[in-house]
Amino acid sequence: MTSNPVHQGIDLRVFARYRGDFTEEADVVVVGSGPGGAVVAHGLVEKGLRVVLVEEGPPIPPADFEFDGGMSMARTMREGGLRTTRGTVMPTMQAIALGGGSLVNSAICVRAPEFVLDRWSRDYELNKTTRTELDPHYDAVGAFLGISPTPEDVQGARNLLFRDGCDALGYSSEPIARNVRGCRGSGECFTGCRSRAKQSMDISYVHEALEAGACVLTSARVENVLASGHRVSGVEGHVVEPFTGRPRYRFRVNAKVVVLAAGCMATPVLLQKSGGLANRSGQVGENLRFHPGVAAMGTFPDRVDPQFGATQGYQSLEFIKRGFKLETLWAPPTIFAVRLPGSGMAFKERLGDLPYSAVWDAIGSCNRSVGRVRARFRGNDPKLSWKLHPEDVGLLMEALYRLAEIFFAAGAHTVLPGVSGLPEEMHTLEAADVLRTHEVPASSLVLGGNHAFCSTRMHGDPRRGVVDESGRCHDFENLYVADTGIFPECPSVNPMWTGMALAHRTAGCIADRI
Amino acid sequence: MTGLFVAALIAWLFTRALLGYPKPTTHYRRLLRGEAAFVEAACGVMFPAGGAIPLAGTEVGAAPYLDRMMDASKPRIRALMHSLFFLVEHASLVFRGPGRGGRRRFTRLDPEQQLGVLRGWETSSFFARRLVFVSLRSLLAMAYLQHPSVLRELGIAPMAIDTSVCEADLWMPRVGADPSTIPWSVSDVNTPRDDVEPLNLDSPLHPDYAEDSS
Repeated sequence: MTSNPVHQGIDLRVFARYRGDFTEEADVVVVGSGPGGAVVAHGLVEKGLRVVLVEEGPPIPPADFEFDGGMSMARTMREGGLRTTRGTVMPTMQAIALGGGSLVNSAICVRAPEFVLDRWSRDYELNKTTRTELDPHYDAVGAFLGISPTPEDVQGARNLLFRDGCDALGYSSEPIARNVRGCRGSGECFTGCRSRAKQSMDISYVHEALEAGACVLTSARVENVLASGHRVSGVEGHVVEPFTGRPRYRFRVNAKVVVLAAGCMATPVLLQKSGGLANRSGQVGENLRFHPGVAAMGTFPDRVDPQFGATQGYQSLEFIKRGFKLETLWAPPTIFAVRLPGSGMAFKERLGDLPYSAVWDAIGSCNRSVGRVRARFRGNDPKLSWKLHPEDVGLLMEALYRLAEIFFAAGAHTVLPGVSGLPEEMHTLEAADVLRTHEVPASSLVLGGNHAFCSTRMHGDPRRGVVDESGRCHDFENLYVADTGIFPECPSVNPMWTGMALAHRTAGCIADRI
Repeated sequence: MTGLFVAALIAWLFTRALLGYPKPTTHYRRLLRGEAAFVEAACGVMFPAGGAIPLAGTEVGAAPYLDRMMDASKPRIRALMHSLFFLVEHASLVFRGPGRGGRRRFTRLDPEQQLGVLRGWETSSFFARRLVFVSLRSLLAMAYLQHPSVLRELGIAPMAIDTSVCEADLWMPRVGADPSTIPWSVSDVNTPRDDVEPLNLDSPLHPDYAEDSS
């Protein structure tokens, strides 16, 4: 143990401390320490229950953060960050670390719009999932994490130019609310916040859960949910070596309640690999949806120095009912380089424009574009198929046009929309009009599968959904799901806060029932 | 006679495809000799010397970088990367590159021909070919843009930040290390406050990216 007395009561297991096969007993075992699992674990341990939180990834402290985007992804993302969908080929990521995606996301917290939750409530028989019902849960999470709008002094030129462009066009815009305290605008959210300003789950909810007495098993991969009849009795799997994933020891956690929060792409795989659990509705792994993202780069006459400022500090919800959200963006330059056209000296010259450039993106609420998650024959990675609906291609092209419009209104002289088959550079808004008038196939877009949903969807009717409003599986008395897989549709905005609000509600329901 | 012809053909293909790569000066854990040569050649063509960023792609250590990345990747991803390098290196044996002597593997083509081959992948009407190009260029861009000189030149090198120590850091060891190695104690905790100064152009660079680091 450390010499630090604060550490004495903490029950955190790391890879170096495992010595052989073991079994744990718990009231509740939670699988996955991302925003969903961390909130549930904290909520239940606060109620005095014995909670074991199991996470496949290791804790990653700042000393292990990689500045380089490629190496960072190789270490913190499943499949090295190179996971893609089939059908419409689109990269999509899932983190593997204590704290899950919150360690490497940009901390955006937005409440799902009222019209979205009204639709969920009406179309999916979810009477208690209205905004009014969820607001107390949003509030509780918001207060715990200190969610607040990004202050002006850490916005940086990249974010403020977006605001100026929106103002010039009369479009609404606002500073993005984030789970951050004391941000210095380093723009390093995607590779881990060195300032420790981002309240990622590992240093917030998981930390508090540990302090309250939870047991946290890291580097522990759950491979099977143990079930008999209408009840589950725990989970089992292997301790795995960090980064390589090589199995070392076997473990088992016996529990009265099992909560799966492994993420929208991993939870259905776990259910499928556990003998097809909770699938009387036939909906496990079905209905997969994303917020596909597109981005454009604008170059300005003066330096923007885009590395300064909050990673994503400003957004516009002007077109949210139309089906897309606009926002600012910064990431390691290696990620942006993917979007630039050209090769050789032309490509290199474009890289040279980076200090004068800003990248803004749009995420589409593409409910027409549906896919599925399937377990692979070997391994635990999912096989994802998904197809971008032609009408959603049009939606994303319109979003790109709006981004170009804002760029030019903010003073950009060049916009690179990154659409194959269209001009690589656009210098006037008239030239950019082709973005909304020209039909292109999905394969012409450079897409990013930002958020994933619906693979274990919530529905009031047990024949049409996997879980009920409390997150409990229709087929089991004591099996719950608490990740974005339970969303019945795209939330239209960044999903983390909504996922945590639903998880907060789930924790309360479990505590009442247990 | 047919057997002799087939044997000669195989020998010719073997020579063209697999032999004649220079012996690498570095030991690679994952990259094969031919792959290292391909990566260096492709990075040199993708990032020629001069222009806005003086450093050439051949000067950034692309092969060692991608070797480290492959080593950090799972076997399935490594297999995909091996396939990608093999495909682009040898596709010009079947679909010839531009100009005279274009039916040679990528690393044996002239730089202009190599650029022509890459442009062929980039501008192809087949999505799969464009996808191969984007994948390759992404890896090469990662290799190029990790170099401190390149990042300094672009003005986007990481800044020095006095990393705060939060309460969670008291129980969080380095990956793979034992908790007994955690260097912090309660007196080190200095959770970030809201009144800290934002970073700006005058902020010092991280020591690994400062001028005298490379």
